[in-house]
Amino acid sequence: MDILIIGLTALLGLYMAWNIGANDVANSMADAVGSRSISIRNAVIAAGICEFAGAVLVGAQVTNTVRKGIVDPAMLAAIPGISPQDAAVILVIGMSAALLSAAFWLNLSTIYGMPVSTTHSIVGAVAGFGVVAAGWQAVNWSKMGQIVASWFISPLAGGIMAFLIFNYISKSILGKEQPARAAIRHMPYIVFLMTAVVLLATIYKGLKHVIKNIHWLTDSRALALSLGASLVAAVVSYFLIRAKLQGLEEESLGKQLEAVERVFVPLVIISSCSVAFAHGANDVANSVGPLAAIVHVLKTGTIDMKVPVPLWVLALGGMGIVLGLATYGYRVMMTVGTKITEITPSRGVAADIAATATVLACTRLSLPVSTTHTLVGAILGIGLARGLGGINRRIVTSIFGSWLFTVPAAALMSMFFFMVGKALFFETLHTLIAG
Amino acid sequence: MKSLIGDLFGKSPFGPIVEHSKKVHECVELLWPLLEALIQEDYDTIHRLHSKMSRLEHEADLIKHDIRSFISQRYFLPVDRSDLVNFLARQEKIADLAEDFAVVLTLRRTTVHVEIQDLFLCYLNQVFQVSGTLLTAAVEFKNLAETAFGGAEARSILKLIENLGEEEWKTDKMSRKLSRAIYSLEGREDILNILFYEKMVIMLGSIANQAENAGDYLRVMIEKR
Repeated sequence: MDILIIGLTALLGLYMAWNIGANDVANSMADAVGSRSISIRNAVIAAGICEFAGAVLVGAQVTNTVRKGIVDPAMLAAIPGISPQDAAVILVIGMSAALLSAAFWLNLSTIYGMPVSTTHSIVGAVAGFGVVAAGWQAVNWSKMGQIVASWFISPLAGGIMAFLIFNYISKSILGKEQPARAAIRHMPYIVFLMTAVVLLATIYKGLKHVIKNIHWLTDSRALALSLGASLVAAVVSYFLIRAKLQGLEEESLGKQLEAVERVFVPLVIISSCSVAFAHGANDVANSVGPLAAIVHVLKTGTIDMKVPVPLWVLALGGMGIVLGLATYGYRVMMTVGTKITEITPSRGVAADIAATATVLACTRLSLPVSTTHTLVGAILGIGLARGLGGINRRIVTSIFGSWLFTVPAAALMSMFFFMVGKALFFETLHTLIAG
Repeated sequence: MKSLIGDLFGKSPFGPIVEHSKKVHECVELLWPLLEALIQEDYDTIHRLHSKMSRLEHEADLIKHDIRSFISQRYFLPVDRSDLVNFLARQEKIADLAEDFAVVLTLRRTTVHVEIQDLFLCYLNQVFQVSGTLLTAAVEFKNLAETAFGGAEARSILKLIENLGEEEWKTDKMSRKLSRAIYSLEGREDILNILFYEKMVIMLGSIANQAENAGDYLRVMIEKR
């Protein structure tokens, strides 16, 4: 019978992952699609591959935070007068309630076009169930505070970084007398920065997780390896860019700028893919974190401090995200692709590098951050650097509003689902697990 | 289907501003056939051209209303909102003045004295130069948004605005010369005609003035920050 419960909760996880794919994924490719650097069809394919890879290769680390960091399962077991079986049942019901309410809230917001974060939803939902199940002290408030802080820090960090990168691009390349010649000189640095950020993320964490026991791949070696590879990429890019841009010095300023923007096109595609990768890494936890907890409880009958996340669970989350992208996110992508004409490849690259670096740094610190909001922060940063013609202030306000609103909303919903679920299914689940 | 990132990007006002500049310059260009028709005392053509002018001016107005909605408080803009509004107001004034000029020509059957005909055409031509330079600057200004309002592009447009000032100064000089020629006609020309000449001179001069003012607002937008 365990398999039935696992199957049902897996469906819940899939529903959540589908929502993430439908709601969020298009945003990660927004810069590439918006600057018309890649066709919508190809963007969907690329995003699907990168999200899946990110989810499966890097996803595990954050999974721990959402599942255990917010509500410590040990606190459930420590409730006075509760048997281990009771605690296990409560955890199963609670995590299911959290998944359901987060997914439901997300689905609702997607329909009404409200800009909410998947991460905010699940964190709020888990905390909500924790409060009802085991009281205020069950929720790790310092961890919660850390996460709340990261919502403000990540867009800010993304914004500042994007501001600096775009300022560098505009001062050293776009604003020069001969942008083509300046690009030949300065583009390799940007390629270096971008490759370093992308590679550090992938090698450092991805490979380590997949191929276990690579003892030689220490932190410093990973750093050296990615920096070395970035150096090679920068040198190669120098020759490629020189071949493309040399001899344009006599052309008009406008023509040169056009040619320079074309050089940014492959970069914005690669960097957007890495945003998708980072998004998959960070956000898959939102769907499979609770699922992994349930699976472990059902398999062992006990609540442990640390549980391994099975690869199939990660793969399920990744699949759900891709499914959501293919069935619903596709339409969001179309809107993004036809609406954003403001953004140029050079601006897209600046936003993407900043967002990837921020999201991956936060993932490394085990803080679940919202990719969407980091990217929004990055785009605002470029706007402040006088890089964009106009930014809709109303949307910015509604994003800030949703930060404050989503957590309590998801928490309340999750409390409700938990109490209903406990009243209806507690006995059944109890006999199933105990028996 | 709503999309968060898609909605985040407000509309850029810089494209429509160029549209507005073009429309305003079209109004100014219409002054040439108007003045020629006046010299040839072809009053039917003047009436026809006046209605065309009035239509163009209205079209410029529509574009301006459209732009006003872009620069509501709803959007963050890379330039100061009030500078943009002021720039637009100056440009609009140019179209208004051009239309007023056409109206003056329709008011009465004025003839242009043969001694001042060439001077008048020369003067109008100089006003053209000013308006044309402003248009070029506006087009360049749009490109400037591509380079984040800095660097080589900014320097080239500041140079253009400097030229604008120079040309306006030349216009002033020509206006004085033309005025002297007009008043030297005293006694030989109908006094009402002289009054109308003066009206025309002042209007054309104001067009050049407003163009220079508009250019100044462009300069302020570039140099701020």
